[in-house]
Amino acid sequence: MQNLFTQLLGSIERELLNFRQSERLYFVLGAAAVGLAVPLIASEYVVGEVLTPMLIFMIYASSWNLLAYSGQGSLGHAAFLGIGGFASALLAIKLNLPPVLCLLLGSLFSAAIGLLIGLVCVRLKAWFLAMVTFGFSVIIVTLISQFDVFIGGIMGFPTPLIVERGLPFYYMTFALAAISIFVMYLLIKSKTGLAFRAIHENEPEANMIGINIAKYKLIAFVLSTFFAGLAGGLYAQSIRYIQVSVFDPYYSFLPLMMAVIGGLRTTEGPIIGSAIIVTINSYLHKIDNMLHGLMSPLFPNVSNVGPPLRMLSLGLFLVIVVIFLPKGVSSLLPKIRKYFREETKKGG
Amino acid sequence: MVRNRSVELAMSGIIETLLWGIANGCIYILLATGLNIIFGVMKLVNFAHGQLLMIGAYVAFSVSTAFGLNTYLSILVAMAAMALVGVALERLTFRRVLGTDKLNEIFVSLGLIYVFENAAVLLWGNKLKQIPNPLQGEGLLLGDVLIGYDRLLAILIVAVILAALFILLKKTKIGLAMRATSQKSETSMLMGVNIEKVYIFTFALGAALAGAAGALYGILLPFNPGIGALPTIKAFAIIMLGGLGSIPGAVVGGLLYGIAETMAVYFLGGIWQDAIAFALLIIVLVIKPTGLFGEKGE
Repeated sequence: MQNLFTQLLGSIERELLNFRQSERLYFVLGAAAVGLAVPLIASEYVVGEVLTPMLIFMIYASSWNLLAYSGQGSLGHAAFLGIGGFASALLAIKLNLPPVLCLLLGSLFSAAIGLLIGLVCVRLKAWFLAMVTFGFSVIIVTLISQFDVFIGGIMGFPTPLIVERGLPFYYMTFALAAISIFVMYLLIKSKTGLAFRAIHENEPEANMIGINIAKYKLIAFVLSTFFAGLAGGLYAQSIRYIQVSVFDPYYSFLPLMMAVIGGLRTTEGPIIGSAIIVTINSYLHKIDNMLHGLMSPLFPNVSNVGPPLRMLSLGLFLVIVVIFLPKGVSSLLPKIRKYFREETKKGG
Repeated sequence: MVRNRSVELAMSGIIETLLWGIANGCIYILLATGLNIIFGVMKLVNFAHGQLLMIGAYVAFSVSTAFGLNTYLSILVAMAAMALVGVALERLTFRRVLGTDKLNEIFVSLGLIYVFENAAVLLWGNKLKQIPNPLQGEGLLLGDVLIGYDRLLAILIVAVILAALFILLKKTKIGLAMRATSQKSETSMLMGVNIEKVYIFTFALGAALAGAAGALYGILLPFNPGIGALPTIKAFAIIMLGGLGSIPGAVVGGLLYGIAETMAVYFLGGIWQDAIAFALLIIVLVIKPTGLFGEKGE
């Protein structure tokens, strides 16, 4: 643990040295400035229903992405989103602890469960892992309904607040998202991250050069579930209510889609992916109405054509991205930049 | 006397549950076998396999209601249609990610799950449907137990399909090529096997089996576009139980699984139906990460 910490400090130092020379610093500062300034001019609805969830899903998708760095793919991350949400809300209600502390404790609890599941999963290959994690997210719904007297998840309950909703909650989420993503970035740049990438590239070879595969996979799993739990705690606060429906497979597939569409195994990928998908999701009713108006004569069997058509397009988009754009939408950015640079050169 | 009566009732309940379990297990066997063949030959896992079952059920439903085709002949139509879908899937999607990162296959299948489920909603609507069952409610009455002809026939059909599959794999040239490819694809390529064709055929075969499973599912149970997800996972649990790449293993695993599931519902209650599947899967994988009778990993 201490080792991990010194590694993180080491990569901070290196990154600060590199940052000054690279354009990346301007990008990060620019993004931060936009993130800080936009909510001041945006409407209350946009801040509460679009921008805040976007930040939360950035943490969630990045946590999934962190796991993917080590070559593991989870289809049941909703389990940890839900555990984080339920644990932090229940701690705050039942023990009357301050909500900020509960948010942290909830994430730690999620990481502890992640450790248990991770112990099972580190030996499993891609699809076995996918199945086990998916299975866990289904079993946990059964478990919660068995102990519903204590948890109360079937009916759900309102979550206690840390700070007021609206701008204060947005800025708190912004700070937490920035810290989480920065920590994950540093982690990937550290020696541990190098081990993750080596395991993903070639497991037998990584083993041969002395990387303890089980250990690093477990580290990736625990850290990923920690951040997923954090996202869960924030999510429960942002929707004001927590219910067993948070374990729905939809929430397991969401971070995967965000990471893959944005660009798997890049820091900016999950950020871009969640920005795209949350924006689409937030304007659903408008998109659905538009699709319904356009396409409903073609499908007389369905009362509202919008949602299925939109989901179908999302699935198709995912397949197309995986096949034709394996590095995600974010791989287009350098190309666009290059294009503009050449254009300006021509102009000059 | 009263006690005897209740024991008898419990017994007849168990026997009926057992029959249900075997019939359900047969559907899972078809699905698991298809998944297993595709995995064995192509080393590819199609998480959207259960959605092929669902589409198969709808195809059988459409031909038997719209064209008035005999219910059991519609199984053949469903198989043919799904084989075509399988060819298209293999060519257009999985072929392109084969041999890249293993996670890509999972991503593509997830995308396909969305595509199939929502396409089914658009084409057939969201309501529960059932294929007309000519043998509804008919059966052999043994004491209190009604042994439905539809279940027996489903079991028989699965047995016939599996026998045909066995002959195909063991006695025909393409079966030989498939077995060779599943053992060592490079070597069989050097021996003159057209791997591309074998892959297309394998995927079509697996999809056709899923189509047959779907038609049988649709005859025995009502279905909607969302039914595909759980059978995939159950088929997976069965493959884990029976071992990757082993067809007899899938048969034994499927029967065991179907019975265990219906018994769990009978004794523990409906809420446990799905949790049991995963508990079983996770326990098996904890003990033996490659499955009970599984060969060593790649």
